[in-house]
Amino acid sequence: MLSRIRLTFKQHRFETIAVAAVCVALTAAALIEAYRLNSLNVPLSCLQTYQGGFIDPSQGPVTAAQAHCNELAKSFFDTTRSLDMNLVQLLLLLVPLIAGIVVGAPLVAREIEQGTAPLSWALSGSRRRWLLGKVLAGVLLLAPLMLAVGLAANVLEGALNPGLNPYASFSNYLGRGVPDVFWALAAFAGTFALGTLFGRTMPALVVALVVCFFARAAWDAGMTHFVLRPFAVQQDQQDQQQSGIVIYGPGGSGSADMYVYSKSFIDGKEVTDAQVNDWYNQNMVCAPMPAPTSGASASSTDLSSPDASSSPGAPAAPDNPPGGFACQTPTIDPSHMPQQVMYVLPGKWYWQTVAFESGLLLLGALFCAAIAFVWVDRRRPY
Amino acid sequence: MTLGGGASTGTAALAAHGLSKRFKKKVALDKVDLEIPVGSVTALVGPNGAGKTTLIRICMAFERPNSGAVEVDGVDPWKHRSEALRRVGYVPQTPAVYRGLSVEDHLSMARSLHSSFDVDYARRRLDQLGIPLDQRADTLSGGQAAQLGLAVALGTRAKVLLLDEPLANLDPLARREFIQVLLDAVKSDGSTALLSSHIVTDVEDACDRLVILGGGKVRLDCPLEEARQAHRLTEADSPPAGATAVGSFLSKGGKDILTLWRLAPGADPSAEPGQQSETASLEDVVLGYLAAGRGVGLQLN
Repeated sequence: MLSRIRLTFKQHRFETIAVAAVCVALTAAALIEAYRLNSLNVPLSCLQTYQGGFIDPSQGPVTAAQAHCNELAKSFFDTTRSLDMNLVQLLLLLVPLIAGIVVGAPLVAREIEQGTAPLSWALSGSRRRWLLGKVLAGVLLLAPLMLAVGLAANVLEGALNPGLNPYASFSNYLGRGVPDVFWALAAFAGTFALGTLFGRTMPALVVALVVCFFARAAWDAGMTHFVLRPFAVQQDQQDQQQSGIVIYGPGGSGSADMYVYSKSFIDGKEVTDAQVNDWYNQNMVCAPMPAPTSGASASSTDLSSPDASSSPGAPAAPDNPPGGFACQTPTIDPSHMPQQVMYVLPGKWYWQTVAFESGLLLLGALFCAAIAFVWVDRRRPY
Repeated sequence: MTLGGGASTGTAALAAHGLSKRFKKKVALDKVDLEIPVGSVTALVGPNGAGKTTLIRICMAFERPNSGAVEVDGVDPWKHRSEALRRVGYVPQTPAVYRGLSVEDHLSMARSLHSSFDVDYARRRLDQLGIPLDQRADTLSGGQAAQLGLAVALGTRAKVLLLDEPLANLDPLARREFIQVLLDAVKSDGSTALLSSHIVTDVEDACDRLVILGGGKVRLDCPLEEARQAHRLTEADSPPAGATAVGSFLSKGGKDILTLWRLAPGADPSAEPGQQSETASLEDVVLGYLAAGRGVGLQLN
């Protein structure tokens, strides 16, 4: 078997070297980007108080320490928004799928295209054993490389969100760590199954690209709507106050929950979103505002209540007054206002959730592999 | 129509019983009955589309027959693929080699796939032909690639060798070398070979038995010598004594119509042919049988 695995690597030399080189380079790039962020040594407090360069004059004169703090925070956020950082993050998301597809597509299909399948299948009594050797080679190539990429992505996630524990947070959790391995294996299995069905590399590659990227795009929504929903719990009030629904920025408790769904209540009775909108329509008073004078700051308008002019319940304006509308609810006891309750997976459930979703990906991979193993036994070698 | 009645002694190395195969509406094999005796080197001859490749592919379990059965060394390859393939060495139609692998890698791969593959034996065969083991297979000439395919098939030390038009893409010298290596191996190993070809002259010196396939049916199945002796060729419709017409076809120049006659079973083949008849060459025999049922046949090559 070892000899067969070695020969499979040699046979698919180009794909092996290309995927290994890309993964090693991406791992190195992610670690370098993480190092760049960490080496800025920005105190967490600076990131938490940074307001995108806006300095509130009502807070009094800016001290030298505050200015330095703002400077550090600015350089941190500039780095996170840089082109190379965005490129690395994009590649961290895509490479597991692309690597799986590139390794999987020619595994069986190229043998059929190039006419070598009859040679191998005539020698091997069991085509399934023949395929197993090739699949093992693919798994042995992808698993360690993707683990390295995933761990580097975890390091980068930690650097992008100082104070966040990547192993107790759902921030970008499917694009880093162990799930990378299973995304790659699922893409690999799906693609070599398509290659076995089609017997052609390029169609298998194209279909796999389309299917994998749709699957990846729909995965999060699908999981939260259909799979994870029963497991969600009401978000802890303390977490809500500390971190909001999900921490994507720096700071917080070090743990980020995953929002699954929410429920709205009015006077203790569960209502729909439409009913919440109706409530705001009935209870909100909007008035046209005069045109803002030069130098007036946005903060001078009281939009602190949730039912601000951007609210979905805001009435359509017959005309657009120069200052827009300002909407307010009359003084109402807060206990009678619409209440929203978040249902989340707590960040501390990271490993359980990752194991569950990785298991689902593995099941998908095994299902695709089973199709390939059944079909390879039935199909013609040409 | 068969002469000789297939295997006369011992178990057949390869046997087909009522074997039929259709591809949609096209009939590739039509109730083929065939027995290849152990130790023989059989030429499977017929034009393109005659069903030669289909027959071999069914023997390799690459195709499933629509009806009937085939046995390779007594084993049905569709029902017991592993068992059957262990007994077969196969050389495909086009010498397919792995582009990135060396000759030695091919032997290693064969060893990893086939439990009883004899690497040393295959290596010796290639050494004798001066094919470097460290050379990349995609840089071999057509003849060398065919020899590599043959060495891999012979290395299995299989009892039955199935060769699917291995000579089609080779130059005359490479063909001769290929045939020689095959015959040496068959003699020394005592194996059975079925060599398909649509070029009669390629196989007539190598084989001791002839099977002619045409239109999915076995037109002739007999020892090679018997095929030569039992037929006569005439330019006119004047049969030799006691002979029956097989088929008519155009002569090489295309001017005359020749008729192939089959002598009566009891007739003395050594008797002096009539003035207007002559001993048929193997090519004539093949042409005559292929022309049967088609009217005036065209030249086979």
